[in-house]
Amino acid sequence: MDPVGRTVSVLGFGDPGRAIVHDWAAATPAGRLTWCVVAERADDATLTALAAQVRTARVGWRLMLAGPEVDVLAARAVATGLGLLDAEIRTAVTGADHKRVSCPHCRVITEAEVPVGAEVPCRGCARRLHVYAHVSRRTGAYLGFMADAEEIA
Amino acid sequence: MTTTLPPRVARFPFPFPAETYRYATNVEPARRPVRTAGGTWGEHVVDVDDDYALDIALRRAVLAADPTRCAQLPHMRVAAWDALTTLLPELAAIRPDVVALHRRGDRWQWRNDLLGTSSSFVLGDDDSVPGGPLAFLGSQVQEDVVLLDQREGSLWADAGLVTFAADWSLGFDVGMRFQEVHGPVPRVHESGVVARAEQFLMRLQPGDAYRRTNWTMTVDRRLDTSTETYPDWGRDRRLVVDDPALPDRLHLRVEVQHLLRLGVSNAVCFLIRTHLLSLRELATVPEWRRRTAAVLSELPDDMAAYKGIERYRHAAASWLAGG
Amino acid sequence: MTAVLPARPATTPGEVPELLLEVAAVAHAADGVRALTLRHPDGAPLPGYAPGSHVVLTCGDRRNAYSLTGEGAPGEAYRISVLLRPDGRGGSAFVHGLAVGDRLAVSWPRSAFAPVATARHHVLVAGGIGITPMLSHARAAVRWGRSFELVYGHRPGAGAHREEVAAVCGERLTVHESTPGMLDAVAAVLADRPIGTHVYVCGPAPLIDFVERTAEELGWPAERVHAERFSADLDPGEPFTAHLSRSGVRVPVPPGVSLLAALEGAGVAVPSTCRQGVCGECRVAVVSGRPLHRDLYLSEAERSAGDAVMCCVSRSLDDHLGLDL
Repeated sequence: MDPVGRTVSVLGFGDPGRAIVHDWAAATPAGRLTWCVVAERADDATLTALAAQVRTARVGWRLMLAGPEVDVLAARAVATGLGLLDAEIRTAVTGADHKRVSCPHCRVITEAEVPVGAEVPCRGCARRLHVYAHVSRRTGAYLGFMADAEEIA
Repeated sequence: MTTTLPPRVARFPFPFPAETYRYATNVEPARRPVRTAGGTWGEHVVDVDDDYALDIALRRAVLAADPTRCAQLPHMRVAAWDALTTLLPELAAIRPDVVALHRRGDRWQWRNDLLGTSSSFVLGDDDSVPGGPLAFLGSQVQEDVVLLDQREGSLWADAGLVTFAADWSLGFDVGMRFQEVHGPVPRVHESGVVARAEQFLMRLQPGDAYRRTNWTMTVDRRLDTSTETYPDWGRDRRLVVDDPALPDRLHLRVEVQHLLRLGVSNAVCFLIRTHLLSLRELATVPEWRRRTAAVLSELPDDMAAYKGIERYRHAAASWLAGG
Repeated sequence: MTAVLPARPATTPGEVPELLLEVAAVAHAADGVRALTLRHPDGAPLPGYAPGSHVVLTCGDRRNAYSLTGEGAPGEAYRISVLLRPDGRGGSAFVHGLAVGDRLAVSWPRSAFAPVATARHHVLVAGGIGITPMLSHARAAVRWGRSFELVYGHRPGAGAHREEVAAVCGERLTVHESTPGMLDAVAAVLADRPIGTHVYVCGPAPLIDFVERTAEELGWPAERVHAERFSADLDPGEPFTAHLSRSGVRVPVPPGVSLLAALEGAGVAVPSTCRQGVCGECRVAVVSGRPLHRDLYLSEAERSAGDAVMCCVSRSLDDHLGLDL
């Protein structure tokens, strides 16, 4: 990220995110930090609050996101969907165990602790999904496709 | 060779220039006919063949069952109109015998005798065309369409109508950078193929038209091999191996991909036309038979796995080689 | 009427296809500014183009790039407005000498200054004759319902297309006839626009420099700032020597002589079209030394890679520049 923002907002998730948020906030010149929040998760309320920040921001603003990948991806998707550029977002990912996995067969998203290359049952259609190294920036979800489609009778 | 081959064979865009295959930035100027051992292809950017009405009907059915095959981010509205108003005239220019375009100001009238339909719409008025400009375009050309926006030094796959995907999902990929779309393809990043292709595409100027081919294999004449329907067709990859009908069921699947810079929107229009030819049809051209056998035998395992052909490629090569 | 647009003729990669067009109208757009309307002699519709596109005109033995001022819809006539530069290289004088019915070779439109489709708002900044691409941007923005505003600065009474611009933009236009007033207005706009805004500037080099510097100071990332420079402003540059790595030849490049012209003078053929750093034709691979990029063609990434140079306008930061020739 281009560090030269006139104003900066910082959003962190969970305890790992909290530590980074504190470091970032301390390093931000006085008067530039306009919003600094640590949330448990990128839940609807947090993402709604973030969207309100983006909608009222003026060019020159930077957004900094820290925490587990699943939350950072969700927050980044909201921000870029409202017109923020990659160059205006700084991210620090503290872990990637937890994922949102998108099922292309039934379109339901399953949340689970699962590594890339492993399988997870879809909570929509119950198919076993192979988690693929393919991530949508629009939805912040990994692609999962039916693991045993070629084995079934 | 003087024997008359059926049109499907004579027009087939045979994709192998050599006895081995690797990914390459294999682009060349469009609108130049290519002579093959079986005939000719490649004269036009959009093409109409004997399967036209069938393919258009199939696309309508696929879309009706799954509307996410047509996806458009809001900022791609101009590009969608640009694609429609660029490609309808292309079609009218190559097939004046069966389609007719009349334009008065922003009002366009379009008659399609192959489908027995007449339509009119107002350029820029989304409500004047059923389903929007991209959906209407997809009801008139056999090609799948992806529209790429250019910004921040990248191309972005921000709109498309893809009903005949070769094992990918437009609904999942829409909104990705060009490099992200190609994320899972083995060997293409370390060799710089994707980065070079993107640089090339970003330099396309209005009116530029280039093309390339890509290939895989498909069991039966199934055009819709999208990730979405993988549960329906995945098992055929296994079942075909021991099927005595393998030479008739297994098809070489070739995509003729056209790359156009649209003038008004500055978007890059990516057209994907899918051709299927069974091994038995392929084998009627001796050079194709020999070369396809060689390519399938030699292809590295990671590439075969990505293309999803690893279960049956040696059986196919063996049949083609006459074993 | 049946309007089938012409397919672009097949050309070899990098070659710019041309149209032979006829001057259909000549008008006075401001003091020293001539507006030309160009049509196909047989009435065939012309290709559409993105706002901010330019065409390269063959002006006698010169080739000059001019912005198109229309909306860019397929089929409409091409319009350009050309400021007479008495101290220029003759291109503008050639255009000012054209009359209705004259024919000239015009390239297909080339796009290097298009609006960003995802922008939530477009700020257009025009100085003097720099209004020409902005008129195109404004017309297309109205056509497609894009949010925009235009800040237009020009010398008192010397504003090209004033009435036309006002009619297209309405209340989205502010005009400034003094430089301090213009710069203050631009700075105020840059200080307070919603995230998602992009700014586009065309005009004299000091105006572009001011916009780029002010935007950077106010925290605008470079991705939101788009400039179209007049290439006539290029300074003569420092002398350097080109080392041709394949032939071993050394070619001195004095101030005021382009690298392209020096290579040609040494008998080295390099393909070229616009000779103004816009078309991309004269790209040469760099094997050593640091290029001084002055073109409008290479991307930021390509510039920082430093392995290619557009030899028609760009020079060298070092005394020696090694070229793959």
